[in-house]
Amino acid sequence: MITAERKPIDEIMAMIAPYKRVLVLGCGSCVAECAAGGEKETGMLASTLRMANKMEGKEVLIQEKTLDRQCVKDFVILLDDVIGQYDAVLSLGCGAGVQAVAEMFSELPILPALNTEFLGETREQGYWVENCLGCGDCMLHFFGGVCPLARCSKQLLNGPCGGSRDGKCEINPEVPCAWQAIIDRLERFEALDRLEQIYPPKDWSRKQGGGPRKIMREDQQR
Amino acid sequence: MESRVIPDTKAQAGKQTRMTQARKRTLALFYCQNTPESGEAQRQALEKRYASRLKLFPIPCSGRLDPLHLLKALEEFADAAYVIACPEGACRYFEGNLRATKRVDRTAQTIAQIGLEKERVGIVANSKENPKPLAKLAEEILDRTGELRPSPVLERPRRGKGTKEKKDDHSRKKTH
Repeated sequence: MITAERKPIDEIMAMIAPYKRVLVLGCGSCVAECAAGGEKETGMLASTLRMANKMEGKEVLIQEKTLDRQCVKDFVILLDDVIGQYDAVLSLGCGAGVQAVAEMFSELPILPALNTEFLGETREQGYWVENCLGCGDCMLHFFGGVCPLARCSKQLLNGPCGGSRDGKCEINPEVPCAWQAIIDRLERFEALDRLEQIYPPKDWSRKQGGGPRKIMREDQQR
Repeated sequence: MESRVIPDTKAQAGKQTRMTQARKRTLALFYCQNTPESGEAQRQALEKRYASRLKLFPIPCSGRLDPLHLLKALEEFADAAYVIACPEGACRYFEGNLRATKRVDRTAQTIAQIGLEKERVGIVANSKENPKPLAKLAEEILDRTGELRPSPVLERPRRGKGTKEKKDDHSRKKTH
């Protein structure tokens, strides 16, 4: 899941300041799961902005709508009937959602209300952790299902370093040492011998070395 | 003798002024239905007694409260929006009152960011030893919120010749 957090209200107010008719646009997918841009959060932001504008004596039309997904054009096209009423869209989608909407409605400014953060897991209610970099060449099977690139502060493939103390990372005692987790899990599988293998430096060409990535599947295309 | 009378009169006048000010405020009050004496008959009687000063919203548990409820109330009609919760450790759903407290705190932070006083939202936990009825709690909260200035968010109709009451704008409508 893609995680995100809402920008400060001041920053959002400054972004929408030039516009008189603003659509606050939520997304019902990842950002709804991380309680940043779903229907509820969209309603809260729209309500807060209306109040802020009233207090400043500004007459600004602020309405809200939430799409099931902003990053899929089949859903974005549902805005076609209403988009003409606005002179800006404040999107609570992730960066991909903002850009998908911007691409479809190129004549309108599409403004980001969120800071997109990371690929993460909902560890518990209200608690999300980063555990995938989207490197394009998954190595989790070597490391007992724990990614040293996303979860080790030093991204060591041949760890651990000397800074692991009581299962915690030296950068912050609240950060679990990924290599401790890797060793614990490999021990459980009786596969500690995998650590004798030397892993060469990561080939980052499969991440962004070749520019923006794309996936094309002919069998999925129309 | 006179010196004793004057302060009393002043204090009384001050209290009266506060009461007059309090009458001008509208409170949105969300309350857990486990609050003593909070049935439908009591709710209606209280709303009748306080007229436009008080709007009551029963909820099955304070944990049902969402920040959006408080924000919408502040945006549309209320000078303050409060919640009545069960005492700590007495929530029938175990932690509804704790969650409500966090949500109220978050709402307070949000409204503070746009320059509204944090005191416009709040949560009141009933007493475990001596639980108070809804009417008593509502009165206490009304007294507290009566100290607030009128909400700058709410458009109040102007009185006077030639001044038309401004109709509610369409900015609150949802587009779906």
